[in-house]
Amino acid sequence: MMVSLFYPLFFVSVLCMNSFSGVQGKKWKGEGTTQNLESIFIGRCYDYIRTVNPAVGEKNCSQIWEAFKNAFINKNPCNILPKDYELFINLTFHTIPPNKSLFWENNQLLVSSFAGRGLRYMSLSDTLFGFVGNLLNWCGQENSPGLDYESCPTAMECENNAVDSFWRMTSIIYAQHSSGVIQVLLNGSAEGGAYPQTGFFADYEIPNLQKDKISQVLIWVVDDIEGPDLDSCGTNSVKILENRLETLGYDVTCTDNYKSVMFLLCLDNPDHSKCAFASSAPAAQRGPISSDRGGSWNKLMFVSFAVFLFRFALVY
Amino acid sequence: MPLQQGSARMRQRTVLLVGIAVLLAALVLAVVLASLLTHGRHEVRPKMLQWKDRGTTKNLQEVVLGRCYSYITAQHPELGDKDCLKIWESLKDAFIYKNPCNITPEDYQPLMELASHPIPCNKSLFWSKTGDLVHRYTKSNQNFLTLEDTLLGYMADRVSWCGDPSAPGINYESCPKRNECENNPSSVFWKMASKMFAEAACGVVQVMLNGSVEAGAFRSSSIFGSIEIFNLDPDKVSEVHIWLMQNLGGPQSESCSGQSIQRLISILEERNFKIICEDNYRPVQLLQCVHNPDHRDCRLCTNSTAIS
Repeated sequence: MMVSLFYPLFFVSVLCMNSFSGVQGKKWKGEGTTQNLESIFIGRCYDYIRTVNPAVGEKNCSQIWEAFKNAFINKNPCNILPKDYELFINLTFHTIPPNKSLFWENNQLLVSSFAGRGLRYMSLSDTLFGFVGNLLNWCGQENSPGLDYESCPTAMECENNAVDSFWRMTSIIYAQHSSGVIQVLLNGSAEGGAYPQTGFFADYEIPNLQKDKISQVLIWVVDDIEGPDLDSCGTNSVKILENRLETLGYDVTCTDNYKSVMFLLCLDNPDHSKCAFASSAPAAQRGPISSDRGGSWNKLMFVSFAVFLFRFALVY
Repeated sequence: MPLQQGSARMRQRTVLLVGIAVLLAALVLAVVLASLLTHGRHEVRPKMLQWKDRGTTKNLQEVVLGRCYSYITAQHPELGDKDCLKIWESLKDAFIYKNPCNITPEDYQPLMELASHPIPCNKSLFWSKTGDLVHRYTKSNQNFLTLEDTLLGYMADRVSWCGDPSAPGINYESCPKRNECENNPSSVFWKMASKMFAEAACGVVQVMLNGSVEAGAFRSSSIFGSIEIFNLDPDKVSEVHIWLMQNLGGPQSESCSGQSIQRLISILEERNFKIICEDNYRPVQLLQCVHNPDHRDCRLCTNSTAIS
């Protein structure tokens, strides 16, 4: 009798759960797929090959979108793996110029400014495969070809979500094809350490660097202008990173507060003591010249009037 | 006698035969020529006009649409009500199938209306001959907006377009340079967009000029000098701050006391704006130092952290 009751009860409770989540609205805790994802994605793909980096040659951006989408649609959004993006990578791959790779942790916006849209350095977001997905969000749903615009799983809800697997795959490829001198920009004010021992750099990039193609690793540890100096070269997590790379056989150099990056941080804080210039040009050149003609005319008029009155008073 | 008659007849017959042959040949020739000519006329399609500048960017539609959606979705969600498809159509209609030397401001009016949006006060940043530096600055410092940071400018930056009266109406091979004809799609677009950008400015406005250019930091022939300064609204704009930037290591062709700057100041004062001019405005100079950190103008007063 219990068994015969079980299925109806189970059925009812499942229905209730579904309607309850319907009332709540959202399946997952994270933000949904970015609106107009397809147009943005395809637009960025063409923007890249036509204006950002035409050197990569002709690509079929519609095909690339299909390959990207097929990695995660119609599947359980908690079961997307990096290799699901293999076709996408095959279609978007291009070589990375030697000495231009820039790895980073905890300073995404800074890296974006510093890389100068791929001109100075080519970070992952400056490659075609990184450019199309940068700062976007996406996920699919099981038994439906549509994208989920309502909500997407967070990393906490499931590790193998569409977005994280995308960045794992692209990080692997980016590391595998980096060569020459490679640069690593770390945040010396980050809580938990400048070098997170679990993260994209530690878990997917370092293991995929090709030792025979890399001549040197430059580590830059830069503190926030207002931030605390929690980590530096030779200490704490940075020391762990230096040891790890040296053990792997790399020629490692570490620099604290690398000046180039400091200047960039100073943009938002030009009057901070860390940002004061040593040189001072002659006073004539510096300092604002303001148009004060309105003021000086007024003064002149006032003085003339006062003199006139004075003379008038004298006469009388 | 019969022989003579026979030969005369033969001669007549020969002449007749030759005459017929010639006629036939002429007929055939005429037919062949006629068919060749008409065939040729069918093959001669009107060719597109040829110009000296690069042609319309391939996949312009996808690029413009993608940029529009990216702008209103990710970067400026307050513009979420903009219709990107309509905006693209209005851009296309402005130049497709038209002679690219005959573009008028009216052609762009619908686009300008659909894509324009208000600019917060004190944020407008104009520029002349400092394109690379000014855009690196606005990318790193969200406090200022150049025209290329507005929706219109963002969509149009670094792409090109022009039409042609013959099919398919868009010329992907070449587009007119300014010296080929003034009223070309690109020049008319940027002039109109610049005018509107100036009209929309309020509060304190900024302008970044180049003090290392031989021809002078301020030029009346530039878009800034010919359009933007004359379309600032004195009822909305209170002050103009000039940032006169010189290349690190010079040449120091001009500074705030220079001739062309004095001319600019007098034009602006006549329109009742207060002016402040600053040589090598510090935050922007910091940006110049990013990629030239060892230059003597970039030495920092570091007293604590390890020297790089």
